[in-house]
Amino acid sequence: MKHIVYISRAVRPLSDDDLNALLSQSRHNNARDGVTGILFYSHGNIAQLFEADDAVADNLYERIARDGRHSHVQKLVDKPITSRSFGDWSMAFHPLEPQGFTTLQGFLLPHQVPPVPESLAIADALLVDLVRLAVFGPDPSQPYQHPVPAPLT
Amino acid sequence: MPTPPFAQLLRQLPAGVATLEGAELRFGFVNEAMRELVGAHSEGKPLAEHRGSLPESLPGVLSQVLASGKPYTAKACACGPLPGSKDCRYFDLAAEPYHDDRGRVTGLLLLALDVTAQEEARQQAHELALTTRHLDARLRVLTETAPLISFSLDAGGRVTYVSPQWYRFTGQPPTADLTAIWPLLIHPDDRLRVLYQAEAARHAGTGWNHEYRLRRFDGQYRWMLSRALPEVHLPDPPVFWHGALTEIHDQREVAEALRRGEAELRFLADSIPELIWTANAHGLIDYYNQYTTAYSGLTKDELGPTGWVSLLYPEEQPAAARAWVESVTHGTTFEGEYRMRRHDGVYRWHVVRARLLADASGPRWFGACTDIDEHYRLHQVLQTQYDELARAHHDLDTFVYAASHDLKQPTLNLRGLFHELSQAATFHDPDQAVMLRLVDDELSTLEHTLRDLAATVRSQRAQQEPVEVLDLELLLEEVLLGLRPQILHGNAEVEINVTEAPGLLYSRANLRSVAHNLVSNALKFAHPDRPARITLRSYLTPDDHQPVLEVRDNGLGMELDNPDNPTFQLFARQHTHIEGTGVGLYLVQRIVRSQGGHLTVSSTPGEGTTFTIYWTRPE
Repeated sequence: MKHIVYISRAVRPLSDDDLNALLSQSRHNNARDGVTGILFYSHGNIAQLFEADDAVADNLYERIARDGRHSHVQKLVDKPITSRSFGDWSMAFHPLEPQGFTTLQGFLLPHQVPPVPESLAIADALLVDLVRLAVFGPDPSQPYQHPVPAPLT
Repeated sequence: MPTPPFAQLLRQLPAGVATLEGAELRFGFVNEAMRELVGAHSEGKPLAEHRGSLPESLPGVLSQVLASGKPYTAKACACGPLPGSKDCRYFDLAAEPYHDDRGRVTGLLLLALDVTAQEEARQQAHELALTTRHLDARLRVLTETAPLISFSLDAGGRVTYVSPQWYRFTGQPPTADLTAIWPLLIHPDDRLRVLYQAEAARHAGTGWNHEYRLRRFDGQYRWMLSRALPEVHLPDPPVFWHGALTEIHDQREVAEALRRGEAELRFLADSIPELIWTANAHGLIDYYNQYTTAYSGLTKDELGPTGWVSLLYPEEQPAAARAWVESVTHGTTFEGEYRMRRHDGVYRWHVVRARLLADASGPRWFGACTDIDEHYRLHQVLQTQYDELARAHHDLDTFVYAASHDLKQPTLNLRGLFHELSQAATFHDPDQAVMLRLVDDELSTLEHTLRDLAATVRSQRAQQEPVEVLDLELLLEEVLLGLRPQILHGNAEVEINVTEAPGLLYSRANLRSVAHNLVSNALKFAHPDRPARITLRSYLTPDDHQPVLEVRDNGLGMELDNPDNPTFQLFARQHTHIEGTGVGLYLVQRIVRSQGGHLTVSSTPGEGTTFTIYWTRPE
């Protein structure tokens, strides 16, 4: 049993339909493969923590790293765990039309994401907090736009 | 042999044939091909009136030809448009005078040969040549003005072309043998590598892309980027390579300086005996210096982007993680004192500082952890000693105050009695008056001294002891630290539970004094058969929410109702077999009362005692 955390950038912004499809497909596959965790998405920024048996997790990460829909995939943590911290697999993002989503299984609005489970080591909990901050910004209830980097002087 | 039917042949000839007779150039014989040019039914009509598609100027020209009697040929004359076709066609036209028996010119034989296809091809070729010349000129301007040197090599590595910039750069004469001189201009350290790479690329039929130093006209070697691609016409192997040479000296110098600067900074950071690290704008650490790995005994991968937090003392980790998230959220400086685990498991105090700094590559966190363990321990020892001194000083003050206060009444009584005595009694002493006055003076002095003493202590205390909200847990821990030898000696167990009322608005020294006296009493009067178990509990009374401190022990206990052994009086001592002055509880009582509070005690001899301190006056 291990968990993996990565961040990446979507090649192009994902539409509500894309996100919906990703949610239902991943929920289905992850439930089948025994993968639990959480994915954060906002404005092309992606971060995910998932936990699974070693082989399943490695396979999944390899598939994710090859996925052409995103780039700059950066693995932050890959280490063994003794037990799961997440009961299922869910996704948190800001849909353009939230009303269709609120009833979906496994969907969370970013500011409704529960606090990091206490069973995670502090270092891993801190990492989840930091990537959530990186994806959603200081106020998760508002859609977050990364500041455009200042031009070089 | 029969004569061939010439008229028939002429009629079907694919070239146009016609005779033009007389000065008016009337059409005589017109074959099929010529009919297409001039139209049908032209026979007997003058050329000028039945010209058809022939050029407009032709009748005039042919009149002159007739007059001169000399043959005439016009190449590729535009004729047209022909019936049934909008396009112009081109004909070679030839006019040959013919003579009668007496040699006079009587007419012209006109021949028209269709050369349209040839003419069109010629015109296309001409246009192509023009375009090519334009392109060629443009290419030359480009290659000769661009700030780079372009060149072509053949498969044998011979230089077949180089743009004039090469001569300007190298200062070589136009007569130089390029193939021979070029390698000699390459920096000796780069020469073999460059020649080898270029040759390997030519063998493999691929392009190349490499950097080398080339000697400039002034003898300086400048860094150049050489890029070339083969000219490929499949399936043949390439026979030419075309490329460009760009000067990249300045960029390379800058990059080199950056690399050097970076390397020097890394070296510096790795040499400092402090934990140095950097993090990206999201607060994920991407660099730890060597000392960090040496100190922690963990690799950079094991530490990871947030692994530093696991080095901290376990109880301090959540707060440190929260503080870091807070700093990253707002970009504010991170600062704190934490115990960090060394590779051998020893925790040492560090001050951790991190600041967000922005350079050309964007904002980054720069952090350092400085070992302050020695300072910290020294500070702790000094603080403990200072607290002990302050407490002792305070106890002394309280004692003096209490004593002076409590001696005031007996002194007044004494003065009253003495007054009565001096009135009523008689002394058989000649110095009676002097003696009485002396005693009276001494009594006054005693009174004044006691009053001044109390006033002094009171005013000092008012200045020294601000009332503040105290962290009870911290303060009680400090008190226990002061009693550590006794606790260890008695193998005592002390439990602090302040969760119900963690803070208290009180004077620090007073609270310290009360707690110290009660705990040291509890330790002192421990039951000889069992180790002391002391519980310090802070809570609020359920009915009026008064803050209360309860000190419970399992010691000897007291006889509370024994009138011979009052508990809270000065110098009162219950257990005379144990060393003591009997001041402790008296002081506690005085301090608590002076702040408006009160104290209760319940005790069972042989089982233990519970002191309950009500800090404030009920509203």
